[in-house]
Amino acid sequence: MRVLFFAQLKDVTGCAATEIVSPSPLNREQLWAALLEKFPGLNMHRANVRLARNWEYAGGETQFTNGDEVALIPPVSGG
Amino acid sequence: MEIEIQLTDAPIAERISPPTQLGVQGTWLEFRGVVRGDECGQPIAALEYEAYPEMAEREIRRLLEAISVRHQCLAAKVIHRVGIVPVGEAAIYLGIAAKHRAEAIALLGEFMDRLKQDVPVWKRRAISLEVGRVTPCAPSDGGQRTARLASKSLAEAIAEISSRCQPLPAVRVLLEEAFDRVLRQQVCATEDLPSCDRSTRDGYAVLADDASENFKIVDTIHAADWKPRQLKFGEAVRVATGAALPFDGVRVVMQENVERAGDHIRITKHEAGSNLRRRGEDVKAGQPLVQSGVRLDAGKLALLATAGCIQPLVNPRLRVAHFTTGDEIISPDQAPKPGQIRDSNSILIRGLLQNFSCDLEQKHLPENFEAAWAQLDLNRIAAADLVLVSGGASVGDKDFTRPLLERLGFEIVFAQVNVRPGRPLIFGVNGSRVAFGLPGNPLSHFVCFHFAVATALARLAGGTAPVFLRGKLAAKLDDIPCPRETLWPARREFSGGEIKLQPLAWASSGDVTCFASANALIRVPAGSAPLAVGAEVDFLAAGVMLGI
Repeated sequence: MRVLFFAQLKDVTGCAATEIVSPSPLNREQLWAALLEKFPGLNMHRANVRLARNWEYAGGETQFTNGDEVALIPPVSGG
Repeated sequence: MEIEIQLTDAPIAERISPPTQLGVQGTWLEFRGVVRGDECGQPIAALEYEAYPEMAEREIRRLLEAISVRHQCLAAKVIHRVGIVPVGEAAIYLGIAAKHRAEAIALLGEFMDRLKQDVPVWKRRAISLEVGRVTPCAPSDGGQRTARLASKSLAEAIAEISSRCQPLPAVRVLLEEAFDRVLRQQVCATEDLPSCDRSTRDGYAVLADDASENFKIVDTIHAADWKPRQLKFGEAVRVATGAALPFDGVRVVMQENVERAGDHIRITKHEAGSNLRRRGEDVKAGQPLVQSGVRLDAGKLALLATAGCIQPLVNPRLRVAHFTTGDEIISPDQAPKPGQIRDSNSILIRGLLQNFSCDLEQKHLPENFEAAWAQLDLNRIAAADLVLVSGGASVGDKDFTRPLLERLGFEIVFAQVNVRPGRPLIFGVNGSRVAFGLPGNPLSHFVCFHFAVATALARLAGGTAPVFLRGKLAAKLDDIPCPRETLWPARREFSGGEIKLQPLAWASSGDVTCFASANALIRVPAGSAPLAVGAEVDFLAAGVMLGI
């Protein structure tokens, strides 16, 4: 699955997107574990970050699978 | 509803026409959010916006569709800039077509509030007036952590909480939803009340200076009628109580004081008064009716309804996440085994929050930190305005709450207060969100809620913090002098023209029996000698009448 980073998270990861491949669907904990392994600096932002899957905010039970577009949404500030 | 959405890096056109296929439909409301010349107090030249375009578009559409269920509009056009937007240019444009302005205005207000919460668009950086200098736009990411923090006195803790909690953006809601919220606008009378002279009696309106004894009845006015007319000398109009009088300069003769024969009356007894409520007697047009910062109770809402203020600007409902911790805590419906205690804090917090128009979510967490962390729904917590963690009774819990709040991104402002009970009170902030770690004992909860959590709730809602009042002791309070300031549970009563405070028996912060009658907390200064009957003391109202 492709994982997108926005705003200050881009500064943390140094990139706008990364690819995570998993043989089975990941729940949010597992997804975070995979992300933190690649980008430990995300940990301090974790509490403020909402996850989105395929352009919608993900609920607590959401499973993330290969082929999904996942996004880490830090607190928004539009308008 | 027709919806058109654009994310663009080009300036938004000066003139945007309403959707033509709609024709003239009453309202075409336009809003432009223009970049201000300062960001975080610093003068700036421009803001740079970033968006997640596919999702931003979907979220905008979703929000508009959801809000238009309540505020039915015909069409909406949203344009949001991305990239660099110079000061003075619009970053967002919203055009709404509706049959009536009220729906369009309501949709606009609600949409903009929600956009700022949910639509993935970010102010990426502010471009300073100084060429080439850029500053990040306040990312809310935890902040500094301090290992050791000074213990706060009661006054310091209240002041710190007051200054760290800022009012949440106000929202417009229907009167039915405004109960117990804090009004965030001044509401003034739009017309005189009563709007015309009205009769306070069933009787007959005659000219004020007509001294005749006999009158001819020329008309009848019921309470809902509006029948302006000229009266002549010798003429009377039959009026009901509350009837709008036909013009100025009349008085009403009570029906008890006349004899009626057909369409004629004769006055049998003369009255001194005119039996009128004069136009503007209660309220003059333009006069403030309810001030900003006031909690709306039934009476104030009735006044707003009278003034036609049907969608007052108030604080949003506060979202509260409450976690209880401790493996010894069991649900109240279970029988405790030795070492276990029933959870009373969940219902206590729920009850205390009743006065604050909150949406509360509660959950019990295991004592193991990682196990607890795994059970948290971080999206939900990120959306909460206030996070409360009730520690268990064991020593280990003190170590649990603070790291939990820190991992949730809260900057810990203080982790101890010189107050009894309730010493290990933790207070943290994360942007506009606040958190408290409450010591697990029920009485500590009760005390910390009233001086700390209530202060934060009142401030977030846009009201003022609860204040200490003065009262007299109804019985002596011969506590052993304590080096910490004490908030002593008490029963307050009003008698003999003053507030009397009866201190309640209390030995430890685990005591629960005093809850049933406590409605005040007496402030006993640190190191105070025993206080005699009749001594004047400060107290905080508790349970009811929180004093916003």
